[in-house]
Amino acid sequence: MRDVSIIGVGMTRFGKFEDRDMKDLGREAVWTALNDAGVSIKDIEIAYVANAVGQQLTELKGTIGQHVLTSAGIFGIPIINVENACSGGSTSLRGAYMEVASGNVDVALAVGVEKLFCGDSAKSAQTMAAGTVYAKFGFMFVALYALQLKKWMAASGATKLHFAKVAAKNKYNGSLNPFAQFQKAMTVEEILESRVVAEPLTQFMCSTMADGAAAAIVCSREIASKLTEKQPINIAACELVSGTYNVPGQEHEEITTRAAMKAYEKAGIGPEDVNVVEVHDAMSPAELRLYEELHLCKPGEAGMMIDEGHTALTGRIPVNPSGGLAAKGHPISATGLAQVYEVVTQLRGEAGKRQVTNNPKVGLVENAGGWTMDDNAACAVTILKK
Amino acid sequence: MDKKRIPIQEGLFIEAASGDEKPYLIGNKCRKCGLTAFPKTPVCPVCQVQDTMEEAHFEGTGTLDSFSIVQAALPGFQRPSIQAYVNIDNGPKIWTLITGCEPTEDSLKLGMKMEMIIDRVREDEEGNELISYQFKPAE
Repeated sequence: MRDVSIIGVGMTRFGKFEDRDMKDLGREAVWTALNDAGVSIKDIEIAYVANAVGQQLTELKGTIGQHVLTSAGIFGIPIINVENACSGGSTSLRGAYMEVASGNVDVALAVGVEKLFCGDSAKSAQTMAAGTVYAKFGFMFVALYALQLKKWMAASGATKLHFAKVAAKNKYNGSLNPFAQFQKAMTVEEILESRVVAEPLTQFMCSTMADGAAAAIVCSREIASKLTEKQPINIAACELVSGTYNVPGQEHEEITTRAAMKAYEKAGIGPEDVNVVEVHDAMSPAELRLYEELHLCKPGEAGMMIDEGHTALTGRIPVNPSGGLAAKGHPISATGLAQVYEVVTQLRGEAGKRQVTNNPKVGLVENAGGWTMDDNAACAVTILKK
Repeated sequence: MDKKRIPIQEGLFIEAASGDEKPYLIGNKCRKCGLTAFPKTPVCPVCQVQDTMEEAHFEGTGTLDSFSIVQAALPGFQRPSIQAYVNIDNGPKIWTLITGCEPTEDSLKLGMKMEMIIDRVREDEEGNELISYQFKPAE
């Protein structure tokens, strides 16, 4: 397998864009990535395009990747459509990465695009829940996060104050991110006092609907310096797993931990070497659990990590410098590549006001999605290295 | 217009036909390793071979694993709702709605005994009652 580098990234702002469709959003993300890398459209040899609910919520009823990329001027090459719920973006990156690593092509494109605002918010909400078998019972992802986090609080010693602190950190980070859906900092008090959505989660701890797109261009490491003047960011690992059955009476390893351990092993990099992290926090407090599950701290230390500011922009291991899903927005399949966008930007030192201050060399992206067998359907962990 | 009681999904549960009978969940069990599943799974996830799963009925007593009182709701569903996981006695851990108690934190305690009942989830567009298995604190 060959070494693979990311040479270009691009994303749209995330938010509610009633007058923009997926083709328009996708085109912007792709061309931003092309211009970022300084490569030509003709250099792209293959493309992976992730989308989750476009068939249900938009006028596009199939081959969404071809529709989106044609509008960007890309056609004739192999285009692979990817659906992997909220992990679609990372799954798309993995496809592009594997094409280059295997030697099949030298340059590949990964895209994630999603349009959730369709003029009928009830339809959007039902569609997002419909990926699970329990949708017809009124199952909601926010309830799932809530009951898991509530149970985890008791085990970890984390409190609702910790939940609000991590949400406040992320709202602050989002306030500095020009691509974030919500660019307003909030106090711990404002977050605690906002309306309860599902105990113990309040409104401002939770992500909402968003439209958006993100893209990355990868190439073999050996040709990176010939193609671009940008500093290549190497993919040290891009591991993907699916959920496992919860066998009654047996301990069940978290899907996030399984994906992370595979990625650490592949990269030959341990959690102690990671300097900047983006995690999949559809509800901000989930970030706390992920500190432990990704082995960024020991069990029981998550509360301390936020109390002592270790994961703030100025901390020793900043987490979600983009603002995370609740502040940046969560357009399902675009999320994973937006996380990659953030870590690449941070490793290059190009993140402006939200640039982390620990001069990061290694970054990690965790991107989980879907729900099946009482586990996430998918989880990807990507390790990027300067 | 006659309003009907319609199971929200076929093949998940049987409602008691008379007062003497109890409702039960329709799951399955592996004859090789004893693994239980609900809803049914065609291939045992432990043995990972075909044709070992046999239908099994769970009478629906268990303990509360985790819960949240949910103030948000999908269109057509009542709010607040209580969404939970229950560990079925001699069976798997299952996701369920909780009914038969106030939607307050004090009404429920982790580990408490729970009992299955068949109850209304919501009305459909024609006014029919969509019913499902749910759990309530045991008497």
